[in-house]
Amino acid sequence: MDELELLKKDWQSDKPIYPELSYDDIYKMLHAKSSSIVKWIFYISIIELSLGIALTLINPKIESPAQFPNWIDTLSYFSIPFILVFMYLFYKNYKTITTTDNVKSLINSILKTRRTVKYYVLFNLILAGIFSSVLTYVSYVEVNGGPDVFEASAHFKEYAVLGVVIVVATIGITAIIFGIYYLIYGILLKRLNKNYNELKKLEV
Amino acid sequence: MTKELEHSFVEQLQTHQNIVHKVCRLYTNNQDAHNDLFQEITIQLWRAFPKFRGDSKFSTWMYRVGLNTAITLYRKSKRRIQTDDFDAIQFKIKAEEYDNTEEEQLKLLYKAVHQLNDIEKALVFLYLEDKDYREISETLGISEVNARVKMNRIKKKLKTILNP
Repeated sequence: MDELELLKKDWQSDKPIYPELSYDDIYKMLHAKSSSIVKWIFYISIIELSLGIALTLINPKIESPAQFPNWIDTLSYFSIPFILVFMYLFYKNYKTITTTDNVKSLINSILKTRRTVKYYVLFNLILAGIFSSVLTYVSYVEVNGGPDVFEASAHFKEYAVLGVVIVVATIGITAIIFGIYYLIYGILLKRLNKNYNELKKLEV
Repeated sequence: MTKELEHSFVEQLQTHQNIVHKVCRLYTNNQDAHNDLFQEITIQLWRAFPKFRGDSKFSTWMYRVGLNTAITLYRKSKRRIQTDDFDAIQFKIKAEEYDNTEEEQLKLLYKAVHQLNDIEKALVFLYLEDKDYREISETLGISEVNARVKMNRIKKKLKTILNP
């Protein structure tokens, strides 16, 4: 006997499984707050996008007497169009998420929206890496008597120490940001990724 | 206008609520989680309702949104993981005292289905609802052949769970 046939018979018997909900019960649910994963992704993405903008606007030059290279300014301005493109892509992808799609396309569009923001974060991490390297360099030189004194007295050893400090500081900062990021999305998208892979596996 | 839309939606959902209850039954293990998922599906159905053009049946449209919510949008709470463990223990006890009555067999079958993964549950759900492979493949976004192959594998898997 096919076990599923027995289950099907019971399933289709239409006997109520749970206490029937009234009109008012359903009406109340309509106005309840959603706790869907898409909503979480949307909120987190908005925070990430805002942080990116804040990062671009807060120039490391502020409140620092040290001399910064001019190209830092140019880099800041150049990043603005990129941010706008990312925001447009994020909005466009977000709009394509629809629950009436098939399961595979729905998961795909959610993951695509996520990926856009992932690239955006990567872009910001690179930018943050560049800024923090310059900041470390400028601060280090400043602590050691300013650019003129440093350049006059520095030998290979001083430059090597400076190089190590820059690398360690930059890696440290980006690793912390990346770690937090990885943890949040690892947890949030675990189930989605699992289900998507399961569907993809079926098509092989 | 919104009031009218709301009224028509709630009325239709009330009539077909059993479909949503069935989705919740497959994807949750306790009353709290069942209610949570029911609420989330209701919210998602209501959001999608303005786009519902009536060219498919309201119930067919509900399957899709309901399954999508259960599989992709719904976030399981920690409380449910503990209940899963509890159910697994119960299942072992039940399996030992296996008796052949239909009622008992059904209980075991439902427990076995609960052990399947989210996608397998969706296939079983559509199969139990007597949907053909074309509709199953369209709902999941996989090919008809693959839906058929997968369904056969699930049947085997269920047999293994029931007769280890």
